[in-house]
Amino acid sequence: MQATINNNPFSKTVAQFNIAYTQMINHLGEAVAHLDPDIANEKLLTDLYKSMVFIRLFDKKAVALQRTGKMGTYPSSLGQEAVGVGIGYAMNPNDVFAPYYRDHAALYLRGVSLADMLLYWGGDERGSLINGAPQFDLPNCVPIANQITHAAGIACAIKIRHEKNAVLTTCGDGATSRGDFYEAINLAGIWQLPMVVVVNNNQWAISVSRGIQTAAETIAQKAIAAGMPGEQVDGNDALAVYSVIKKALKKARAGKGPTLIEAITYRLGDHTTADDATRYRPPEALNKGWELEPIKRLQTFLHNNNFWGPEQERAWITQCEQNITQGVEAYLNTPDAPPEDIFDYLYAELPFAMEEQRQHLIAKARSLNANKKEEESL
Amino acid sequence: MKYFKLPDLGEGLQESEIVEWHIKPGEAIKTDQLLVSVETAKAIVEVPSPQDGIIKTLFGKPGDILHVGEPLVEFEGESQEDTGTVVGEMKSASETNSVSDDHFIIGSAHHRSAPQKRCTPAVRALAKRLNVDLAMVSASGSNGLITAEDVEKAHQMSSEKGEQFILRGVQRVMANNMTKAHAQVVQVTIHDDVDIYRWPEGTDPTMRLVRAIKAACEIEPNLNAWYDGNEMTLRPLKKIDLGIAVDTPDGLFVPILRNISQRDADDLRDGLNNLRQAVKNRKIPPSELIGGSITLSNYGTIAGRYGNPVVVPPTVAIIGAGVIKEEVVAFEGQVAIHRVLPLSLSFDHRPITGGEAGRFLKALMTDLALAE
Amino acid sequence: MTSLPPLKKTLVEAVNLALAHEMRRDESVVVLGEDVATNGGVFRATEGLKDEFGIRRVMDTPLAEALIAGVAVGMASQGLKPVAEIQFMGFIFAAMEHIICHAARMRNRTRGRLSCPMVLRAPYGGGIHAPEHHSESTEALFAHIPGLRVVVPSSPARTYGLLLSAIRDPDPVIFLEPKRIYRLNKQEVIDNGEALPLDVCFTLREGKDITLVTWGAMVHEALQAADQLAQQGISVEVIDVATLKPLDMETILHSVEKTGRCVIVHEAARSNGVGAEIAAQLAEKALLWLQAPVKRIAGYDIPMPYFKYEQYYMIHVDEIIQGIEETLAYG
Repeated sequence: MQATINNNPFSKTVAQFNIAYTQMINHLGEAVAHLDPDIANEKLLTDLYKSMVFIRLFDKKAVALQRTGKMGTYPSSLGQEAVGVGIGYAMNPNDVFAPYYRDHAALYLRGVSLADMLLYWGGDERGSLINGAPQFDLPNCVPIANQITHAAGIACAIKIRHEKNAVLTTCGDGATSRGDFYEAINLAGIWQLPMVVVVNNNQWAISVSRGIQTAAETIAQKAIAAGMPGEQVDGNDALAVYSVIKKALKKARAGKGPTLIEAITYRLGDHTTADDATRYRPPEALNKGWELEPIKRLQTFLHNNNFWGPEQERAWITQCEQNITQGVEAYLNTPDAPPEDIFDYLYAELPFAMEEQRQHLIAKARSLNANKKEEESL
Repeated sequence: MKYFKLPDLGEGLQESEIVEWHIKPGEAIKTDQLLVSVETAKAIVEVPSPQDGIIKTLFGKPGDILHVGEPLVEFEGESQEDTGTVVGEMKSASETNSVSDDHFIIGSAHHRSAPQKRCTPAVRALAKRLNVDLAMVSASGSNGLITAEDVEKAHQMSSEKGEQFILRGVQRVMANNMTKAHAQVVQVTIHDDVDIYRWPEGTDPTMRLVRAIKAACEIEPNLNAWYDGNEMTLRPLKKIDLGIAVDTPDGLFVPILRNISQRDADDLRDGLNNLRQAVKNRKIPPSELIGGSITLSNYGTIAGRYGNPVVVPPTVAIIGAGVIKEEVVAFEGQVAIHRVLPLSLSFDHRPITGGEAGRFLKALMTDLALAE
Repeated sequence: MTSLPPLKKTLVEAVNLALAHEMRRDESVVVLGEDVATNGGVFRATEGLKDEFGIRRVMDTPLAEALIAGVAVGMASQGLKPVAEIQFMGFIFAAMEHIICHAARMRNRTRGRLSCPMVLRAPYGGGIHAPEHHSESTEALFAHIPGLRVVVPSSPARTYGLLLSAIRDPDPVIFLEPKRIYRLNKQEVIDNGEALPLDVCFTLREGKDITLVTWGAMVHEALQAADQLAQQGISVEVIDVATLKPLDMETILHSVEKTGRCVIVHEAARSNGVGAEIAAQLAEKALLWLQAPVKRIAGYDIPMPYFKYEQYYMIHVDEIIQGIEETLAYG
């Protein structure tokens, strides 16, 4: 860090910081660190792998649904599966998750059904009901970085009640430019909140690359200014992501304060289905991104250790496709909510002043739907 | 589905250009297999097939622009039910684009109709309860405000004295024109009779009057003119555009028989009949009611010997024709009974002298006295 | 100044045309926002500007709306004319402090020593099947703030003329672009640098039976309603408010004086909306002309439903026609 070097004889260095980087399995599928057998066991590694394969197939299907007019705009998580999967396995059910909007893998592992995820991106609020997932997890957060401040609040609640769990929140690299990000980690540092912030640094905020987003050498070092540790992890290495987050969560649950984790990935897809990255992303960068992607390396590692073979691969893909088809069917066959649903969750009890509007809506919907039926029958 | 229509590929984009088809007609395709690449305003998008099937038709070739909701492909052997929807959607797409928004006014439009009557809602309610038409109530409040008393008075008048009605359409035009004429014109009317015993059976008096006016205008062209009282300018007109007063149940119309000096008798007769018919059917365009240079009022078709026809500015003369009657006349030193046409000529004495008017009337009578 | 032959343009292309025109004419105009440079804006409103004017004048900012607004205030205080883009109006709220506490007050606080000639552009409104927070119409929040101008164009030609005026205006302008009609229609737009006046309504259809007041994307439905009613012999005067703040009540009053009846249409939620302000002023100033209560046809007082249920919220042509017929039948 150049800023600490000063030739002035009256100056001295008063603080110095290091940013750690963790990688366990490199992009060739080789172990580059000593793997703790308690953690890096066959079951965990195959689970991480299977989940990544599953979510990649799901992602592809979701994009296809959008392309065929069956769903709305969707942000693919292609290439970033290891981050979501690492989060999903590292968190305990009683931890609280405050996601951004590209956390499909983590949501799935938290117990959110495929149908619910598709409902959400299909334009239906019921997708945020997340039946089966921990009750206090927050819904997707679309406005950038807001969820980090909410996570700080959740962490406060945990601390005030002397609970032994932690909150984990996610964001992208672009979000770290926002006041919300700095304000929230500043609070987490000063109040030593039980909170883990995972930045999915996929190098792109829509068309704005990491290089023109911040001049900081690492995003992890932003934690230093907030008085908390920050570290980097290879976000394409599911095992490393899992291990680093697991450790940070353990520390947070033990009341030892927050951690910022910068997971370095690459956005192999577009920002969303409405975006076209070829307009701004050089093809060489994309090719390099593919060399580092998370699934192939873990597959190689599993193969080399005889944890996984082509037969299991085939069987697993078939099973994934079955599950995905079931999820898609459940989504497509979900009957529409009654129109008044758009009023009924606004307040604990609908204020009397709004009853007239609600009745108006019911009549309007009846007429709209009758017209629609008439058009369809023509 | 039989037709797969271009979906909305992102946030309101209305159209896409076909870049490349990845399938040919007759080929089989699987769900999610790449079907076509299209370019929207935002991106090149790969569109997969929504279902398994055989492709029957591809709609459009590379370079073609498709709108959201228009069919991309047709699948073989699928049921027909969606066809109507295709038509329906395409129709509504063209409908939404049909609204014209090319012309607008900065600020407010000119007032074409009269402003509403002003009154408080309570007075409006009172008028409704008493069945009083506010348009007929004269206002006594400040700035033309109609008060409750005004409405009550109007109601009392109607019940005691009888209902009134508002002049509308041509009735209003007449009232305005007459008021204007009375305020501006210094009018003199002279009267005389023409002995028309020479007219053959079946002569149309109106056609003879038209011809006679043409003859009189040649003698005294200043009576076929427009006068601007402010500038004191008289504009004798090159053409004689004769206004002919026509009475209808709806009111007085004065359609214009154009350019009478350059047209033969048959043409004029046809023209006159057409105007009368148009007025009767209320099909007369407004353009046919303006721009007269002199006027004929043939009230004799109803009743009345002499009249006091009113000159409407900017014209300066109007000829009135009374009822043709048999009268005792002095003829070649004898008492005879002849048909006589009484005439009244009104003129605006500001630009026109009595002499000019007299000579005009004389020329009129001379022509009318001819046999044919 | 060279004038180019008229071209058919969409509304978003008219934005682009006006920006390029004014950047060529005035060196002090700069463009900033998320994805506005290399990507040309997520809706392509700023496409080609970086290539023509360079990254010194067309700036991709970090992902931070408060920053964008604050930086624009700073630039404007020094005499630059920043045109800042907030990618979607749903994300403008972080910028509110700068808009309300600084942009709107700079001239007043310094008694005219400094001013804030900035434009904050934001696409807004529903009907495009977008994800959460991308479809709201919260123009009333800005119209409530003293010191701001709030402008909403409704056709390609008016977009061009109004955006030129907004950039040239010496005070801050919130320029809200109805994205539902960004590409709906093409219209001849002449790139001649001729601005249209701010602070004045546009009368789009002359009529004598009823006044229909609206703005933004709803103008499209309003004109459809007026044209359909014209076939039944009902003559509707359609007014596009265009500048919501300050409000040109004179044009609206002139019209209502003539017609005696008024319907206001807005996509934004009904309560405390701009329609309420117009109705209140009609009650204050046009009461004696009115032959029926002023009717508002507006969005429900609920968050914009997620897009599967969006059509229940959006206002349809039939509703406008029905509202007009009810108002005509009143009393």
